[in-house]
Amino acid sequence: MIGSRIHTARDRWTAFTRKLCLQIFMIVISAALLLPIFTVINFSFKTRKELYVDNPLALPHSLYLDNYISALERLNVGTTFINTFLYTTLSVFFLAVLSGAAAWAIARNRGRFYRFTYLYFLLGILIPFQALFLPIYIVGNAFHLTNTFYGIILMYVATGLSFSIFLMTSFMSQVPVELEEAAQMDGASIYRTYFRIVLPLLKPAIATLVILQAFAIWNDYLLASLFVSKSSLKTLNVLFQQLFSTTSSNYSTAMAGVMISVVPISILFVALQRYFIKGLTAGAVKG
Amino acid sequence: MPKPRFKLVMKVQYFSLVFPSLLLFTVGLILPMILGVYYSLTSWDGYTKDFPFIGLGNFAKMLADPHTLDAWWFTIRFAFWNTLIQNLLALFFAVILDTGVKAKTFYRTVLFLPCLIAPIVAGFIWQHMYFDVLPGFNALLGTKVNFGLFGKSSTVLLGLLIVNNWQFVGYWMLIYLAALQSIPRELYESAFVDGASFRIQFLKITIPMLAPAFTICIVGITVGSLRVYDLLVSATTGGPGRASTSIIYHIYNTALNARQYGYGSALSISLIIVLLVIAVVQLGVLRRREVQL
Repeated sequence: MIGSRIHTARDRWTAFTRKLCLQIFMIVISAALLLPIFTVINFSFKTRKELYVDNPLALPHSLYLDNYISALERLNVGTTFINTFLYTTLSVFFLAVLSGAAAWAIARNRGRFYRFTYLYFLLGILIPFQALFLPIYIVGNAFHLTNTFYGIILMYVATGLSFSIFLMTSFMSQVPVELEEAAQMDGASIYRTYFRIVLPLLKPAIATLVILQAFAIWNDYLLASLFVSKSSLKTLNVLFQQLFSTTSSNYSTAMAGVMISVVPISILFVALQRYFIKGLTAGAVKG
Repeated sequence: MPKPRFKLVMKVQYFSLVFPSLLLFTVGLILPMILGVYYSLTSWDGYTKDFPFIGLGNFAKMLADPHTLDAWWFTIRFAFWNTLIQNLLALFFAVILDTGVKAKTFYRTVLFLPCLIAPIVAGFIWQHMYFDVLPGFNALLGTKVNFGLFGKSSTVLLGLLIVNNWQFVGYWMLIYLAALQSIPRELYESAFVDGASFRIQFLKITIPMLAPAFTICIVGITVGSLRVYDLLVSATTGGPGRASTSIIYHIYNTALNARQYGYGSALSISLIIVLLVIAVVQLGVLRRREVQL
């Protein structure tokens, strides 16, 4: 915070008006930023008649829940929600275990091979998978990974590894070597040391990884739309796009659908908010 | 000291910890990249078993293909304006929140909230904002502002920039905010004692101390904008006409709809090259600046 001098009553008055202007400005900005979110909530409770006759900024007359019921039905939530949930949780689980293991091995071995491996993984941060979606899709087809449950999870893990290993490696300095050495003196194998000692110590790093990757996977559209066309394997976003493309007239149902897809990830965010900010800033502050 | 045999076992065990990641990463990302380079030298249609080798033919075709040039032009303009506007806005809001404005947590949450929404859903929401919701203000105020930004090729870029900034300013703001809060207070105090003005303190302390955050945000927003796709699918379907077809959207149309896998792969490889060059140049320049400061 930048310091400033306050001497006289006039200075105090200037400081006060400046603060007031700032406050009013932020309130206006907040209102503008919240308008689309307000719209989603507002429209999700409107009847068809209210949607077409009333001013779009008007509130609905009653708590109308039919949009939610038809959104649950049309989005086939029993299947798509579970699919999205399973793809996200399983991918994130494997990402955490695999990237933790790789990052630990890289941190504890200073040889040329491991230094090269680390740089090799970092290559993936500079090359986003979206840019390679076509050959990724071709390779996925060749290996018969498209339209399979594990295929898409494998792809989410493969494309998320670079960033996860980078993140985990930056946390690795917080794992004390002494504990590991003590365990190994007692005859614990590398695996035992990793799962019993290192992994539990990595909990904050894992929380950060979980929230960042869960967002990316839950909100993904490109990879899911390429890899999955069978309706039993579709994700929420894929079906949402197919059902409620821009020509769709009944968008109050779609807005209820938006609520259904946004709420779970928001809950995760609220629960892990602390770690989210830590993860974002780990790189920015340390450089 | 562990025995030599034990050491070998340890080595194998350590290797087995990186191996699964190495395998997945190689098959899922590096192999596609290498194969992409190979496909880009052929005129493969995605179906047949033969890959007619045409050398750099696809790359020559690219330079003369107006659709490709249009897609690049849109993508570059989108990335340029996004990087500029988003960084300025993110820094601006971070500075405001750092000056001790009341209800700071509330504003931070509001700014960040849109980030929770999937881009494909955000595009859908804004489609309705522009065509259904904002015209409601015209009805209330008796004005005649045209809010249908996605409807005209001259305004579609502006419309998309608004959506993208609405979504992600809060994300980058958090990075700037954290960096601002990590600046030692003593620096400002001593500058204050020396009589430095607000402007001088900002230019001589704040901006230099933010150098690492600048690096992350500038590179992050540029790379993120160059690969824009999801948002366009739901907001504009690349239109009107082809006015908002990004390079990834163009690859999608070329390969999966027009069945030109060879040409599509060449477009992918050219995008990778552009991304790498931009990232390396930006990182080089920004890191050097960090060191100097």
